[in-house]
Amino acid sequence: MTAVTRFVRRSPIFSAWIALLAIMFGIGIVSIIYVLIHGLQVTNLSDQLPWGLWITVDLSSIALGAGAFTLSAFVYIFNMKRYEAIARAAVVVGLLGYSSAMIALFVDIGRPDRFYFPVIFWQVHSVLWEITMCVVFYSSVLLMEVFPIIVESTPLRNIRFLRGLAHFLHRIMPIAAWIGMGLSLLHQSSLGATYGVLIARPVWFSPSAPVLFILSAVAGGIALTLTVTLITADLKRKCLLPPDILNNVARFAGFAALAYLYLKLWSWAVTNYYSHPPAIRHDLELLGEHTPYGFTFWWFEILLGALIPAIIYLWPRTRRNRYALMLAGLLSALGVVVFRWNMTLSGFVVPMDWSPGVANVFTPATYWPSLVEWGVVVGIVGYWLLAWSLAARFLKLYPYERTIEEARREMLERAAAERSALDESAPAPAR
Amino acid sequence: MNEIDTTLLTRRDLLKILAGAGISAAVAVALADPLSPAVEQIFSGLEAQRQAENPEHQPHWGMVIDLSKCIGCEYCVYACQATNDVADDMRWNIHLVDETPTGDTFHVTRPCLHCQNAPCVSVCPVGATYNREDGLVVMDYDRCIGCRYCETACPYGARSFNWRDRADEPNPHVPQWGTPEVERRPRGVMEKCTFCIHRITGALEQGLTPGVDPEVTPACVNICPVDARHFGDLNDPDSPVSRIIATTPTFRLREEIGTDASVYYIPPEGLAI
Repeated sequence: MTAVTRFVRRSPIFSAWIALLAIMFGIGIVSIIYVLIHGLQVTNLSDQLPWGLWITVDLSSIALGAGAFTLSAFVYIFNMKRYEAIARAAVVVGLLGYSSAMIALFVDIGRPDRFYFPVIFWQVHSVLWEITMCVVFYSSVLLMEVFPIIVESTPLRNIRFLRGLAHFLHRIMPIAAWIGMGLSLLHQSSLGATYGVLIARPVWFSPSAPVLFILSAVAGGIALTLTVTLITADLKRKCLLPPDILNNVARFAGFAALAYLYLKLWSWAVTNYYSHPPAIRHDLELLGEHTPYGFTFWWFEILLGALIPAIIYLWPRTRRNRYALMLAGLLSALGVVVFRWNMTLSGFVVPMDWSPGVANVFTPATYWPSLVEWGVVVGIVGYWLLAWSLAARFLKLYPYERTIEEARREMLERAAAERSALDESAPAPAR
Repeated sequence: MNEIDTTLLTRRDLLKILAGAGISAAVAVALADPLSPAVEQIFSGLEAQRQAENPEHQPHWGMVIDLSKCIGCEYCVYACQATNDVADDMRWNIHLVDETPTGDTFHVTRPCLHCQNAPCVSVCPVGATYNREDGLVVMDYDRCIGCRYCETACPYGARSFNWRDRADEPNPHVPQWGTPEVERRPRGVMEKCTFCIHRITGALEQGLTPGVDPEVTPACVNICPVDARHFGDLNDPDSPVSRIIATTPTFRLREEIGTDASVYYIPPEGLAI
């Protein structure tokens, strides 16, 4: 106890923050137990709208974990070793995303006691089966990538066996990165295909959905990793990334956002501007009447969620401002969440008209999550922030980490060295 | 001396990328393409067993619903609820009032359509719902994990989820419309119309013909007071359903999305098909 008391006395603000997150986590635990006891009747889901907030959280947290495979690929596949400065943090963000998704899915299925069934009973024609398998395997890859970081930064390093295991895992990291990239390319897209393959619902049925999902995941995942890094750096008053790495990762996030926007605009234009399939037009009209779908699509998915972050990341003036970068990452992540929410709900809200006559037999569904549904989400967010805060405090996530003074001195020294190198090599200026 | 290194990719890099693409593609094909040999073997085993039992004929159970006769009495709805012990808000077999383009009302009832190319079957991540050899789309309640993807995929809203535990609920349709012949489903699994599978299974071996002998015919078909529902073997040209389909114009719901349903409808007067 005394160690804890001492810690609390030394860092009261951090301790209060942890306590707050622990309360959020506790709310989640209570909500989950409540759902497990009473079943899914305590949600506002229905037979007409069987997926809601939890699926949105599940899709979003997996998408926002996509920074892990992208930045691991930078380091281990494209051999850009210096990006290890951010890759470790990305891997932790990834693991938190995937474990959050697993919590959400576990609560969301009707029979949580059978959660492992897809691993036993294969049904290879189901995109959901493929997703489950990929997520299981990829989470193992992420664990393998995070494990050496934990061993290295805690007293566990004193145990010879664990140290050996960590060293071994670190050595096979390139293989893990390859496998991780393959798995991620598969399931990040399949999550979009979950909706894209459903021929019954015109707003969903689309070949672009899988690609939109992976592009938005890469853009949002990198943006979120960068933003939590910058916020953590501010709170720790440290410099966590070399300036050039920060600059390049931000630019990459900007290009990823542009790529996502490009496909998004085309996939909209094909069926809404250059052609007007009656089924899609009818569904979108209904959505416009009954939901803020149109408003949230243009403002949150396109403008705030992709276009503005892309501008911030790509315009050198805003890219140099770390608050602008933090904002861009938060907006990008918000854009991903709104996209997943709109995607999930749009297909359900619009009723399928299968009746043979012309009467309007079916009415649009309505949905707003129940208190328990929010409770579980509060718990998941609490878990995510709690785990990140502890990791950022106690693990060696940023190999570059140094004080601001050190970083500044280093930068000045390098600039001076470059200048003198220039002076030596350049011919004397003509007089 | 103005050498600029224009190499974007070394040969080594290119090989790596190609290898990566190859591995990804191989994994994708391995996962997406037809069943693993083990599963295939199981299916071929079942097939062989079935052919050994019944070498000459494989039935395909189907239904014809005559919308020109249906009066919307909902007897079929209640008989189904009693026989299969279904709650009011989870009906397997539903009734709607619809309209022809000229404004005349008509009645539609809809069981599960038992599609041969069923979207619900292809999305189920655990194979808890599948096409049986005799055309039925079957639910395995012991395997269902309750993810509700089948409900999302079904083009006809024919699936309902057990949101709550129904163990102690009364069934208001019993005994007036029949007595439950199957167990109630547990909380957390999906359910849907089974074509009264418990009656059909093994009927032929007993010398009974579903669609002809009432004890092996779905409850909704037996109870219909106006003879609007017919049941039988679509693979047998002499069955009641095959004869109707051969002689009367029929249609299937949302034919254009290619589900290949086993339920055919006779249109009401005034509805062009």
